[in-house]
Amino acid sequence: MTTLTAPPATATSSPPPTRRRRRRSGANAWLTVLLILASVFTVVPFIAVFVLAITPEGAPTIPQQVPDEVTFDNLSAVLSASSFLRWTLNSFVYSIVSVVVILLTAAMAGYAFARKRFPGSNVLMWSFLATLMVPVQATLIPMFVLVSKLEGVNTFWGLIVPTLANSQAVFLMRQFIKGLPDDLFDAAKIDGAGEWTVFWRLVLPLTKPVLATLGIFVFLWHWNDFLWPLVIAQTDEMRTLTVGLSTLNAETVTRARLMASAAISVIPCLVIFGVLQRYLVNSIATTGLKG
Amino acid sequence: MTLQRTAPSRPTWRQRVRDPGWGVIFVLPMLVLFVIFRFVPSLGAIGMSFTDYRLSGDFSFIGAENYSRLIEDDLFFESLRVTLLYAVMYVPLTLVVSLGTASMLHHVIRGRGLFRGLLFLPYVTSFVMAGIIWIWIYDSDGLVNGALERIGLGPLAFLSGNQAMVLGSLAVVSVWKSFGYSMLILLAGLKNIPEDVMEAATLDGAGAWAKFRRITMPLLRPVVFFVVVIETIVAFQVFDTIYVMTGGGPARASYGLVYMLYDQGFKFFDFGYAATIGVMLFLVVLLISLVQRYVLDRENT
Repeated sequence: MTTLTAPPATATSSPPPTRRRRRRSGANAWLTVLLILASVFTVVPFIAVFVLAITPEGAPTIPQQVPDEVTFDNLSAVLSASSFLRWTLNSFVYSIVSVVVILLTAAMAGYAFARKRFPGSNVLMWSFLATLMVPVQATLIPMFVLVSKLEGVNTFWGLIVPTLANSQAVFLMRQFIKGLPDDLFDAAKIDGAGEWTVFWRLVLPLTKPVLATLGIFVFLWHWNDFLWPLVIAQTDEMRTLTVGLSTLNAETVTRARLMASAAISVIPCLVIFGVLQRYLVNSIATTGLKG
Repeated sequence: MTLQRTAPSRPTWRQRVRDPGWGVIFVLPMLVLFVIFRFVPSLGAIGMSFTDYRLSGDFSFIGAENYSRLIEDDLFFESLRVTLLYAVMYVPLTLVVSLGTASMLHHVIRGRGLFRGLLFLPYVTSFVMAGIIWIWIYDSDGLVNGALERIGLGPLAFLSGNQAMVLGSLAVVSVWKSFGYSMLILLAGLKNIPEDVMEAATLDGAGAWAKFRRITMPLLRPVVFFVVVIETIVAFQVFDTIYVMTGGGPARASYGLVYMLYDQGFKFFDFGYAATIGVMLFLVVLLISLVQRYVLDRENT
């Protein structure tokens, strides 16, 4: 429930007055050094994964020495292992289907809560929000029993559908649609637009920015999700990347091979990050969405 | 935040039920998902906690037996203690790191965007990925022990040592992976502090530390409080890193609450008992939220 109450922020980056520049520069240099150290803390593990992934198996590597030999055998071995590709595919299916369905159903529900009056809409909105108080882990067992009764264990629907009920998404869409000007909806009504037309031609295009933000988050949530896929995907061919990696970790796979798998699995997230970093960072500050 | 709107001629409840209209149609897909996969399991958890549900699906109602068993189960209190100890390490650490980096980012002008990006980077990975990297970092021939060896120390048993060491090591991994979120929230809070207040303090001759203590901290309090609550709830749900890095060990030193739930459910297939632990987890999270409510209400009056 608290996850959505982050104070909104207005990003203002005003340059400091020049008269204070000189006095500040000494302190600034120290701050920069500290920031470099902090960045080393966050970035070095990633570099290490990639270095270990291209070190020949069993060869001396960091931290003892920088590997003097580079190989792509580990990476190609991982990619040619059929299960790894299957896990990657599963992760993509899990993430992308979830993004599409959550965006659509949350936009619809958000539109209804923001613009329509129907019996019990208040109670319903509050019960949606109340589910934020129930940690998913607390309902793990009954969810698993329910899905296994419906014969959803080791199926895509069993993996995906139970994770689609997302109150953060509904709430975010509701807040955004509530903020749209009434005139637009009145005008559409006067022009005789039907309900679906209003939704497809007005609501969806106008909510594009917030849909994009939400889409990135839903993708990351699902791509990185672990506990639910762990219990529901019990056969090797249904595993997602996170679950697959954890089984490789538990098995006696060589370190080079494990790191090569980890390196490949992190690439989609790094790509998303590289392309959308600025956007992602700003949207956390303004929406308070939490992974 | 109330949905109540007063319309001049409001249809009666009876009329609205008879003609639910488009609102219901638009909300229906999400409603169905919520009813089946959120509301039913929430009630199901409570229901199952009063049964001896097994993997086979056979069960009978056993009253509050699971609860009395839980109260007598040393393992349960141990897992609560582990989780609490972990939270006590994780929450302050993540607050210090995220507040520290946020303040630095707020003051540094050159390269702010770059630093902000680099510091946020681990947030986009999974805990599984983070766990796998950090197993190596903590390993006897890994990064940290390699560095310690250079200066003639170690090797330290980060993941197989005593309980404080293991939980502290796990907390560091979680901080690494997720402090970027709190950092951004705090940075947004810092940006909202009016510039002229700071200017006035500077003119009055206030030093950096005095300004931080007397102006930044009081004005940032609500944001800091928000971060503490969120991170405390996150701390009580810790699972992924434990599963990947220690498996609850060594000798159950990192056997947290959610790990116990998973262990009872999917190792021993004692679903009724595992569901009871889930109810307990819910109560803990509820308690944290109620404390938050109480503190916020007290501050607002």
